[in-house]
Amino acid sequence: MALENILILAAASLLWATTFRNHGRTWFMLIASVVVIFWLQPAVPIRGADFFTPLATLVLVVLTWFITADDATRKQRKNIIILLVIASVVLFLNLTRFLPADFQLLTPSRPPQLTTTLIIFLVTGLTLLVLSRLTRFSASFLTVSLLLTIGLFLLIKIPTLSLWLSSFLRTLSGQSLTNVSINDFRWLGFSYVAFRLIHTIRDKQSGRFPSVDVVEFITYVIFFPAFTAGPIDRLERFIKDLRAPFAGLNLENFYSAGQRLLLGLFKKFVIADALALIALNDSNATQVTSTFWMWVIVYAYAFQIYFDFSGYTDVALGIAQLLGIKLPENFASPYLKPNLTQFWNNWHMTLTQWFRAYFFNPITRWLRSWEKPMSIPMMILLTQVATMLLIGFWHGVTWNFTLWGLWHGLGLFIHNRWNDATKAKAAAWATTPAKQAALNISGILLTFHFVAIGWIFFALSSPVTSWQVILKLFRAH
Amino acid sequence: MTTEIITSIAKFIAEKILKLPSKVISPDEALISSGLIDSFSLMDLALFIEDTFGVRIEDTELNAETFDTLNQLAALIASRK
Repeated sequence: MALENILILAAASLLWATTFRNHGRTWFMLIASVVVIFWLQPAVPIRGADFFTPLATLVLVVLTWFITADDATRKQRKNIIILLVIASVVLFLNLTRFLPADFQLLTPSRPPQLTTTLIIFLVTGLTLLVLSRLTRFSASFLTVSLLLTIGLFLLIKIPTLSLWLSSFLRTLSGQSLTNVSINDFRWLGFSYVAFRLIHTIRDKQSGRFPSVDVVEFITYVIFFPAFTAGPIDRLERFIKDLRAPFAGLNLENFYSAGQRLLLGLFKKFVIADALALIALNDSNATQVTSTFWMWVIVYAYAFQIYFDFSGYTDVALGIAQLLGIKLPENFASPYLKPNLTQFWNNWHMTLTQWFRAYFFNPITRWLRSWEKPMSIPMMILLTQVATMLLIGFWHGVTWNFTLWGLWHGLGLFIHNRWNDATKAKAAAWATTPAKQAALNISGILLTFHFVAIGWIFFALSSPVTSWQVILKLFRAH
Repeated sequence: MTTEIITSIAKFIAEKILKLPSKVISPDEALISSGLIDSFSLMDLALFIEDTFGVRIEDTELNAETFDTLNQLAALIASRK
C-alpha cells in the first residue's frame, strides 16, 4: 500500500466509525474490502488480468465459503442478496470502463469488456446452483478445494509455472508471446488469502469450523487493512470482534489507533524507506568491496525489512482498530530475543503460528505415533527443516528462498540441541544477575547476526552473489 | 482435582521437558509466551495430557492464546474431562 492508499483508507474508516458507528459496519467493511482488492492490484501487461485476478479472489472465496458453511447457513435467502450486492459492486467497477480515463481511479488500468465478467458471474452462479442441488455434501469437496488452493499457490510461486501461466494468459488475450516474463502476472494478496482459506478448510475437515455467513467469511478473508501484508487472523477470533456490539469510536480507542497508525507510517515511510537507500540488494552486493561497508548494508537490510514489515502491521492494526477490530500482533521485538527459537516466536508470529498449527504439529504428532519412532534429534531435524523450507517456499520457490529456509531450519535444530546439552550448565553458571545479563546479551547478538546473515539469501536473487557477500563479510574474499 | 493436575503437569515439564527436576514452576508462570517450552516439547506435553487425563488438545490449540500457564491448562483439561 502506498502512502495515499493508507491515508484514504484510514480517513474512510475514521469517517465511518464516527458517523455511522455500528450501522452497517460489516457492510462497510465488506464493500470497502471488495473495492480495495481491485484498487490495490498492480497493473500488469496482460490485458484484463489486473481486473480478473481480484475477481478470481472473490470467486474462490465465495466457493470456499459455500463448501465450508453448514447446511442451515448455506440455505439462507439473504445469501443471494449479499452475492448480488457484491456482483453489483464488481459490475460498477467494470462499468467505470466507460468513464473518461481520468475517472478510472478504482482499477489499475482501464477495466475490460463486460462480456467476460458476465460469463464469470454466470459460471459461478451455475456452480453454486449445482452445488446447492446436491443433497449431500461430500468431504471430498473440501479436499478438492484444498488441493485447488495449494495448486494455485504453486502456480504463482514456482517461476517455471508462472512463466507458463503468463504465456497461457497472453495467448488467451491474443497478445504476443515475445515479451513474456514471470513478472507479467501478479496476484496481490493471494499468499495471505490462500493461508486463510487453507485454515478454514482444514478446520472444517477436523470439525471445528464456526458457522459464519457469507458476509462474515468474505470480510474475514479479504479484510482490507490486512489484505496485502497480513496479519493472518483466525476466523473464530475475527468474527468474535465482528459480532461484538461496536458503540462507535471513543476517544481512548481513537488515540491508541491513531498512535499505532502514525507509528506504522513512521516506521515504514521514514525509517524503512531511508534504510532502503543503503540496504543490501542485487546491484550493491556486487559493487561494495570493503568488509566494513558490506556489514553496513547487511545491517541496513536487516533493519529495513523489520521496520518495513512491522510498520505495515502497525498500519493494519491501527486502521482495523478504528473499526473496532483487534487484529493479532505480528511482531514482538524479534531482534531482542536471546535465541533463534524465540526469534521465530516473535517474527511474523501469525505466519509461524499458522505453520505450527497446520504443518509442524500434525507432522510431529504423526512421527510420534509411529510404533518404532525415530530418534528425537532426527525428528526435530526433520520437522524444523521441513517447516522452515516451506516458509521459504511461501515467499517463492527459488534457490535463494530454499537456502534461507535451510539456514533457519538447521539453525533451529542446532539451537535446540545446544540448548538441550548446555541448559543445566548454563543455569548453574548464571547465578548472579550480571551473569544472566551477559548470557542474555551474547545470545541476542549471536541470534541477530545469524538472522542478518540469513537475510542475505532473502534479499538477493542468486546463491553465487549471496555466497560472495558472506565471504566479503568475513574477509575471506 | 485442579491441584493434582497442576502438580502432575509441573512435574512432567520440569523432569521430562526442561530436564531440571528441581525447578519449581508456579501455576501463573508463562510457559509458552516466555519460551520456556519450545514448539517441539509442546507436542510432548499434549501427548502426555492425552495419555494421562484422556483429554485431547488439538494441533491448532497448542499456543499461548489457548493456554499459557499451568492454571489455564488445568482449567482447559478440567473443562473437557
